[in-house]
Amino acid sequence: MSAFFDSLREINMVSVSVRMLLAVVCGGVIGMEREYKRRPAGFRTHILICLGAAMTTLTSQYLFLYMHYYTDMARLGAQVVAGIGFIGAGTIIVTRQQRVKGLTTAAGLWTSAIVGLALGGGFYEGGIFTTVLILLAELVFARLEYRMLENAPEINLYMEYTDRVCLEKVLKLFRELNLKILNLEITRPTGSEHHNACAIFSLRLNKKCKVEKLLADIHATRGVLSVEEL
Amino acid sequence: MFVFFDQLRQLNLASILLRLTLAMLFGGLIGLERERKRRPAGFRTYMLVCLGAALTLLLSQYEYHMLMTEWAEQAGEIGIRTDVSRFGAQVINGIGFLGAGTIIVTGRQEVKGLTTAAGLWASACMGLAIGAGFYECVLLGFLLIFLAIRLLPYVENSIVENARNMNIYVEFQSLDDVGAIINRIKSQDAQIYEVDIERGREENLLRPSAVFSVRLHQKQAHTRVLAAISEVEGVYTIDEI
Repeated sequence: MSAFFDSLREINMVSVSVRMLLAVVCGGVIGMEREYKRRPAGFRTHILICLGAAMTTLTSQYLFLYMHYYTDMARLGAQVVAGIGFIGAGTIIVTRQQRVKGLTTAAGLWTSAIVGLALGGGFYEGGIFTTVLILLAELVFARLEYRMLENAPEINLYMEYTDRVCLEKVLKLFRELNLKILNLEITRPTGSEHHNACAIFSLRLNKKCKVEKLLADIHATRGVLSVEEL
Repeated sequence: MFVFFDQLRQLNLASILLRLTLAMLFGGLIGLERERKRRPAGFRTYMLVCLGAALTLLLSQYEYHMLMTEWAEQAGEIGIRTDVSRFGAQVINGIGFLGAGTIIVTGRQEVKGLTTAAGLWASACMGLAIGAGFYECVLLGFLLIFLAIRLLPYVENSIVENARNMNIYVEFQSLDDVGAIINRIKSQDAQIYEVDIERGREENLLRPSAVFSVRLHQKQAHTRVLAAISEVEGVYTIDEI
């Protein structure tokens, strides 16, 4: 443990202020990254939750260390772990395509609550180091992820076509080229025959197959109106 | 710690009254700020939550006090002790539930009400500190929560404006327009990494819509991108979410 923080481990005015301000800063830092990515839980949400969590451990330490009540110091904080789980559950969406969204947001909120607990409890090393790690993960790994996406062997194709026969032809083309379809989403306007249907494919390419050639091949298929790489 | 508050740390009539009043006042003030923005949880919601949270901790301190004095004999016989934070602990969990109820997912796949949930939860935590008589924490906590709600929206807006990720909600005439919209977005030097298309229902007069998750390659004004998309024929509504 760092001796630097030793004077701040007791409950006094200075340590209370330092812990709460640190909770705001760390919550804000975690939240800012999320906000920047335009995710539902942003800056303020993370700050409020981190601060609230810090107040719970502070309160139980105050009850025990300062007021000398008989209490379990971990009890208030323990409920944070469950309570923020609930709030996080509210951010998770199941889209109409049965895909789950918002899990990272829920997990991030929960983590910032735990960071708040650690800071409120005076475990500065844990709280600060965790924040640094989260930030590092978000900044470095996100960049890495985008770089991998750019030369990823997986692409998303958007296609507009007229009828089912055409779709079957395209699927056959994929089979011939030995491309694996990871995900297929078809949207058709209801009730009318005059409108075109569209499909979004997620494909895994292999080395032999070039994207440009694939697009040209699909475009040459009869009935395909347009095809785009997303 | 301030010696000034020491009289009020013990459980007596004055401190009980003071704590409950403080809970109402601080909870109400935070609620008022939210009310001004016409958010679902307003003045009374915050007041009640904060007051209730303070009362739970007062109640457990009262029981502890009684076990030490009037009930001491019985308590000694049975060997019972009470943990003063047991009641309060459940508040944290319970308000988490309450908060989850304020979160809505709109038809546009937008999550709303998260700040309300978080704010409500934080003010419940503040209520606990008030009930415990931890005045230093309360004063600072109130100030910080109030500032977060009052001032940070400005910071938040500037982050959003400079963000390179956008979620765009578009309503259009028919699915035939999607291709043109995708082309237009890509011509704005942006990469689409997710599309979520919802076909409309004619009987409900719902137009087809789509949510595009877009990453801009360079920093540029979001309104310019939106304006460019709005020029596409067949687009009815366009909105950044």
